[in-house]
Amino acid sequence: MSENLPFLVIAAPLFGALVASLVGWARPRYCYAIAMVSLAAGLTAAIALLVKVSGTVSGYEYRLGGWPPPIGIQHWVDPLSALILVVITAVAFLAVMSARANLQLELPGKERFVYPLMLLMVTGLSGMTLTGDAFNLYVLLEITSLSSYALVAIGRGRAAASCLNYIIMGTIGASFYLLGVGYLYLKTGSLNMIDLRQIMIAGDMHGSQTVITGFILITVGFWIKMGLYPLHGWLPNAYSFAPHAASNLMAPLMTKVSVYVSLRMMLSVFTPDFLAVHALWAQTALLVATIAIIAGSLIAYSQTDVKKLLCYLVVAEVGYMAGGMWLMNRAGITGTIYHIAADAFMTCCLFLGASGLIASTGSRHIRSFRGATRRMPWTFAAFLVGGLSMIGVPPTCGFFSKWFLIQGAIEGGAWHFVAALIFSSLINALIFFRIIELAYFKDVEHEDDVSHPPQVQRNEAPWGIRIPLFITSVVIVLLGVFSPRVINWIERFVDSVGVT
Amino acid sequence: MKVFAFVLVIVTGIMLVVTAADFPAWGDAHSPPNQYLSTHYITQAEHETAVPNMVTAVLADYRGFDTMFETAVVFCAGLAIAAILGHEKKKRYVVRRKALPKTEEGDIIIRMATRFLVPVTQLFAMYVIAHGHHSPGGGFQGGVILAATFILMTLAFDLKTILGRFSEKMTLIWANVGLFIYAGIGVLCVLLGSRFLEYSALHKILPGTDEIMARSHSMLGVEIGVALTVMSMLFAIYAHLVSKGRLEDGL
Repeated sequence: MSENLPFLVIAAPLFGALVASLVGWARPRYCYAIAMVSLAAGLTAAIALLVKVSGTVSGYEYRLGGWPPPIGIQHWVDPLSALILVVITAVAFLAVMSARANLQLELPGKERFVYPLMLLMVTGLSGMTLTGDAFNLYVLLEITSLSSYALVAIGRGRAAASCLNYIIMGTIGASFYLLGVGYLYLKTGSLNMIDLRQIMIAGDMHGSQTVITGFILITVGFWIKMGLYPLHGWLPNAYSFAPHAASNLMAPLMTKVSVYVSLRMMLSVFTPDFLAVHALWAQTALLVATIAIIAGSLIAYSQTDVKKLLCYLVVAEVGYMAGGMWLMNRAGITGTIYHIAADAFMTCCLFLGASGLIASTGSRHIRSFRGATRRMPWTFAAFLVGGLSMIGVPPTCGFFSKWFLIQGAIEGGAWHFVAALIFSSLINALIFFRIIELAYFKDVEHEDDVSHPPQVQRNEAPWGIRIPLFITSVVIVLLGVFSPRVINWIERFVDSVGVT
Repeated sequence: MKVFAFVLVIVTGIMLVVTAADFPAWGDAHSPPNQYLSTHYITQAEHETAVPNMVTAVLADYRGFDTMFETAVVFCAGLAIAAILGHEKKKRYVVRRKALPKTEEGDIIIRMATRFLVPVTQLFAMYVIAHGHHSPGGGFQGGVILAATFILMTLAFDLKTILGRFSEKMTLIWANVGLFIYAGIGVLCVLLGSRFLEYSALHKILPGTDEIMARSHSMLGVEIGVALTVMSMLFAIYAHLVSKGRLEDGL
């Protein structure tokens, strides 16, 4: 059975979605339990996979349908995909855990749709991480995107309009990817990632115009999907107007998986040698990433809506990773991969905290943090762990990923990227110290706003949100404390693909 | 901004045109897509799977995992439309399992023609599904034809009457059953000690088959699953869209 672990990771949420949609018709309350059980099964399988991969040298394959790789579809489990898989399933588990409390407030009566759609999305995300087939990745991307469009559109108010924008941009991104894969197929006749790499090396195709265009299309397609700055237009509205239950799941995972796929394409399909030939690309990408970090941070600083603020922080964080992977040295790639894991938990923590804040105060304005240390000390403390990690305060995991990224940038001589990283940390510090100031030193009593009661009452977020929030903040610290182990693990992968 | 977008489109266009010059020649028998994997599929598919229609063999067996998720995409689309348009408080349909109304306003010719057309079309759809691995056809095509018969009936009669016979609940159940059949066959292979969707393992429980015939029969099974999901979800999407989610009066 342990041979079949990769399939279990995908099948658990898939069957969960089917059962939840069926049971949800008659008994919507059971959907939550079904979703939690299937995600727990997926998480367990992912952890077992991680343990299993630790015993192998470079990873192992799983042949779907039993066909040998280029003919059939193959899953490829190596240290990188196993690590990302555990992060995805863990974050999904925590985000869905908070969904019930949020849904009761926002969308009562829609549980029977929301849980199956969430589970289908997790199925797609796990599949994208595992697959070793470029076209299979597209199919899974399709199911992920489709369910996330639905989860955004199901919200109220401006959600539908922002979803339309998201659909158009997302579809363009996905079709760029598909076109790129088509170009590669035209030259190689294969869709399997490892096979693609071998054929391109054997046929000396790295100079071919078709391969170059294919690479550009794939990269730009995923730039749209991950929301890199000039192409980020869909992201802030889609994630801030989506129901909280949905944005808690989407914001930490969608962008990270896109970064992962982009990295996988660069390292495992196109190889670092190919990228080294075209030095101009790395410079362009680093420049774009630098602009993304600075612009994302500045726009985030100017926001007063808590969720919008977090969305622009996500835009800045995407810049970290999109730039880090183009540094093309050991520290840079390690930092990027570590940051994928760290940022998934950080973003999850901040979004959970924001949804807890909104659930208990009913306002999305940053002013609603006033007196938060007295009204909701625990919720706010956990939210703050995420914030400190965003700034990069040790021992949270945000410090270590930034450390490696800056080290990589210095080694690569990308001083503007170093400057952008430090600038962004400072802006993050400003943002979160402003929130701390509001929470500590501004009292509710001194406020003219009549919507808040004058006396200070304990008004913590619902338990359904607080528990996953606490777990996430603990994970952020643990990930930082055990960072040497994680870094070792990542370096094993980085060495195996030949980045120096 | 418009100028910038225009320049960007032109640059992308030039890039694509320049790249086209590097393509293998049109219809080149020696180009990589025509040489590498295609040769294997063309020469070996029938030998390895006992399915003469190599398109079905690639779709349902070699790349069966893709097709399972394509079916899941259809399922997801139906669920998404219902989630966005659906209203919670719905009246129970009083029209249940009643004969189609005989005398109502509307064109009697259309209604009588529909009565004749629907059974024949549905029979043809089943042929398309069942014969999908021997001749052109398969689950997606057959499922679409089946959905078309339901849509034809809603046009000739009205949406409420047809929903009384094939309600939203039933569409959800049948779409689930379809995906359960597909994924279930995959899981059955795992339970029989093989890998996911490795149909040859099923020869242990299918009497009178060997490993190769088991693949052929399983492909029929998954095609039926695909057809059920596609049929019910396409009809559900149609019903939601024409009635703005109220599921009362359609077009």
